[in-house]
Amino acid sequence: MRELELYFGPQHLGMVGNFSITLKVEGDRILEATANPGYLHRGFEKLMELRTWIQNFPLVCRINVVEPDPMEMVYAMAVEKLANIEVPERAHYIRSVYLELSRVSSHLFGLWAYSNMLGFDTVAQWAMYHRDLILDLFEELTGGRVYHIYIWPGGVRRDFPEGFKDRIVNTLHSIGGCVPDYDSTFFNNRLFYDRAKDIGKITREDAKKLGAMGQVLRATGVKYDVRKVESYAAYDSIDWDVHTREDGDAYSRIWVIRNEMIESVHMIFKLLDAMPQGKAYSKVLNPFKWKIPKGEAYVRIESSRGELGLYMVSNGGDKPYRVNFRTPSYTHGLTILERLLKDASIADVGNIMISLYVVAPEIDR
Amino acid sequence: MISALKNELESIFKDIQIFVPENSRLIISARGAMILTILNFLKDKGYDHLALISCTDWIEENEFELIYIISSYKADITPVGNKMPDEPVDQRAGVDNRLNIILKTRIPREDPRFITAIPVFENAEAYEREIHELFGIDFEGHPRLIPLFLEREYEIPPFRKDFDTRKYVKDFFDEIPFVENKEK
Repeated sequence: MRELELYFGPQHLGMVGNFSITLKVEGDRILEATANPGYLHRGFEKLMELRTWIQNFPLVCRINVVEPDPMEMVYAMAVEKLANIEVPERAHYIRSVYLELSRVSSHLFGLWAYSNMLGFDTVAQWAMYHRDLILDLFEELTGGRVYHIYIWPGGVRRDFPEGFKDRIVNTLHSIGGCVPDYDSTFFNNRLFYDRAKDIGKITREDAKKLGAMGQVLRATGVKYDVRKVESYAAYDSIDWDVHTREDGDAYSRIWVIRNEMIESVHMIFKLLDAMPQGKAYSKVLNPFKWKIPKGEAYVRIESSRGELGLYMVSNGGDKPYRVNFRTPSYTHGLTILERLLKDASIADVGNIMISLYVVAPEIDR
Repeated sequence: MISALKNELESIFKDIQIFVPENSRLIISARGAMILTILNFLKDKGYDHLALISCTDWIEENEFELIYIISSYKADITPVGNKMPDEPVDQRAGVDNRLNIILKTRIPREDPRFITAIPVFENAEAYEREIHELFGIDFEGHPRLIPLFLEREYEIPPFRKDFDTRKYVKDFFDEIPFVENKEK
């Protein structure tokens, strides 16, 4: 059969975000795939070298549109580490609640993309609606729906407003009440099983060899979560579990996401119960006059896609000398995607890509 | 555990500097020729996850610094589901999974060449491609150093410190809006 070159994306219904893949195909079987990022490359890391420490907050959150909050967290953590800024106990709890809310909203967005791609339009609409309820909470807390800029070095921008705890609990209860509906329509649906089982399968050895993290790794049975391994914020003060599956295919990855979402909601309840009184931020110097001591730091957290790291170098000035993000989509969307697409069929490209949870701006930065 | 690893590294490899800034970080500075050996050694020790390869342009010292950040996949040795983990338990002993090892080396700016780390860590491929494009460092033995993000060739690779962003904007887009008008 004749070999053809097929361009998949960036304008394609099965493609999320500005990203494209060049496929070499024979019939509908893929011989070779080349990922082409760069449609969103704005050189954020270079821009950050030209802006002061505090001016970079509006930039970091734009690296991941779906989930800007872990980006703020990792940047704030790196600055805190370099400048030795202390964070009050209450702020740790607020940060954890906030990051878990963001994880739930990001997973709902992922569920929207995945179920939409499979043709489960109803489930997709539910997921989008429920995500919107969480965005309402963010709007009340921070003033922004998508980009929040809430976490600062030294704590968070403001404490929870009055009655906010109850509104979080109510919102999560109303979302949680729909889990049986999600299960019967989507997760326990035979169509989902048939469509996702054994698609984009990766073994545990390959996942480790190729640098997988997050639910791609956990779907192969490795109980690895940065929140457990190298705990930050208030994650070690509550009891929670890491969810895994054994098979390493798209079906397992989506099930890991579902279980993680439910675990996150339980975590939020526990964190809210245990939240101490006190200040939400420690007093820091005027941010416009910051000079961060010379040094380098690597910090990492668990975003909803995997290990999110930041390598930061300061030369003692008022701007960072070098900022480099280790984003989970980078490995998932380039190395692992190219590997998994080999020998797959054209109809499965979107399935594999969305189940890997790739967000294009994270690759481009 | 960190001090044991530090002592072992110091006894095997001569002239490397090891620095422990805090409990879960280990910074190793080594000569370029030793990097692959050290990476192999660490991988055999159980530090089998390459998180990132980064590069810093130290223009005043006329050097590039390559940074490899390594940690361990070892997470929990309790059985997952009803299966035991693939690796035997004793091999994983002595690995601190909180530890992030920052391995650094410097190469001259005039001759930006280095050896690829793909034989040790396969996911180095994408990171090296990025560094090649943004810093202009050639990785010998890399199978495809093709463009990744950028759409055109640059005289000076854009992430180097001597790349003038203003001049670039002016050359390609005529004038810098707002900034130039204000200066008039």
